[in-house]
Amino acid sequence: MSYAQPHARFSVLSNSSLSSGEHLSPAASSSRFSLPSAPSINTTSTPKPGARPNIYDRQLNKTRTTEVSSAAFAFLFSEVVQYTQKRVSGINDLERRLNTLGYRIGTRVLELMSWRTESASKAPKRETRFLPALMSIHTHVWRAVFGKAADAIEKSVENSDEYMIIDNDPPITRNISVPRDMSSLSCSSFTAGIVEAVLDGLGFSARVTAHNTPNDQFPNRTTILIKLEKSVLEREEALKT
Amino acid sequence: MSHHLFLLSPSDTPLYNLTHYSSKPSQSTSSPLASNLPSWSTSAFAGTLTALSGASSATQTQHGQGGTVKIGAGQDRHVIQMIANASLDAIEEVMRKDSVMYLKSVDKFNEWTVSAFVTPGNMKFVLLHESRNDDGIKAFFSDVWELYVKTMLNPFHTAHTPIRSAVFDSRVRASAKKYL
Repeated sequence: MSYAQPHARFSVLSNSSLSSGEHLSPAASSSRFSLPSAPSINTTSTPKPGARPNIYDRQLNKTRTTEVSSAAFAFLFSEVVQYTQKRVSGINDLERRLNTLGYRIGTRVLELMSWRTESASKAPKRETRFLPALMSIHTHVWRAVFGKAADAIEKSVENSDEYMIIDNDPPITRNISVPRDMSSLSCSSFTAGIVEAVLDGLGFSARVTAHNTPNDQFPNRTTILIKLEKSVLEREEALKT
Repeated sequence: MSHHLFLLSPSDTPLYNLTHYSSKPSQSTSSPLASNLPSWSTSAFAGTLTALSGASSATQTQHGQGGTVKIGAGQDRHVIQMIANASLDAIEEVMRKDSVMYLKSVDKFNEWTVSAFVTPGNMKFVLLHESRNDDGIKAFFSDVWELYVKTMLNPFHTAHTPIRSAVFDSRVRASAKKYL
């Protein structure tokens, strides 16, 4: 019953002629539903007093130092993994879906993080070369998302297009126990998605995957493997000269 | 004196555009040939200018002669869009090398200057304007960037799709009125 209402609402929206097209805001003027007094999206200019708060009024720096409870996140993440697990056909698919979820987060992390660091400066800068970008991921992104910098960056010796970021105890998988028959699964594909989105946004397209590499000291040690695409390598070569 | 703003995704799909007519007095920029000629002939000369400058102006001269007489070279919607599109090449070239976000004026076309701003996520903000206003434009771009980040943070907004929010529109207009 609770699902019927959103569908009905959307179909009304598609029939009614709203001047702003297919804007799916529930505050859209629709006289059939007695929504609490929300301003219609056809009003321009300043919000009326007592209007609903909108995201453009929020300060971006307000939540800069706030923290999310890791228990709450662990609960949410476990639900996400269980939900995905019911709908996939195998480990690779599960990793790919987690990667997609992380991707959506990564695009937002990139913009928000850059805004918070650069908006105050006179001449905001962005990363154009790969190695500085990788360094900034290693420190800033990790710090923004997890609260501490990642543990190591390595460059692979066999392939010139592979780089690795190593985290000894990734917070998101701390409370996940993987059954033995799925031991190649790493739920850090979520983190890999975040890294992939940040690299994509900066213009370095790559394939990013996560692998478990436990050692004696850190049984949860995870490696995020970044495999750059050829075009990026060529561009880096050209820019190096 | 008008300004045209375009927001483009990294794959060059237009996400938002705005035309703003400023009420501030414009500094007199000399467009060398046009100012000495009566206005009805600038459209004819615009064709020559662009042919000389090598811009791909075949379509523009047709529009210029086919429609009504225009003042200056760039009042038509499609001319504006053509100028903006042509400047993308220049923007990409500067974007690869220079690691600043605010690229000042990357291109010039008759009396229109194109300024650009590239975000870390490689979104391009392109502004066509007639007069010089570096500080105001920089502040305007910062404002638009902030509004864009807030739009992006919305979990219901799919990345790189057109921005249709009326609040965004009104904020951008207010910012344009303030700085441009």
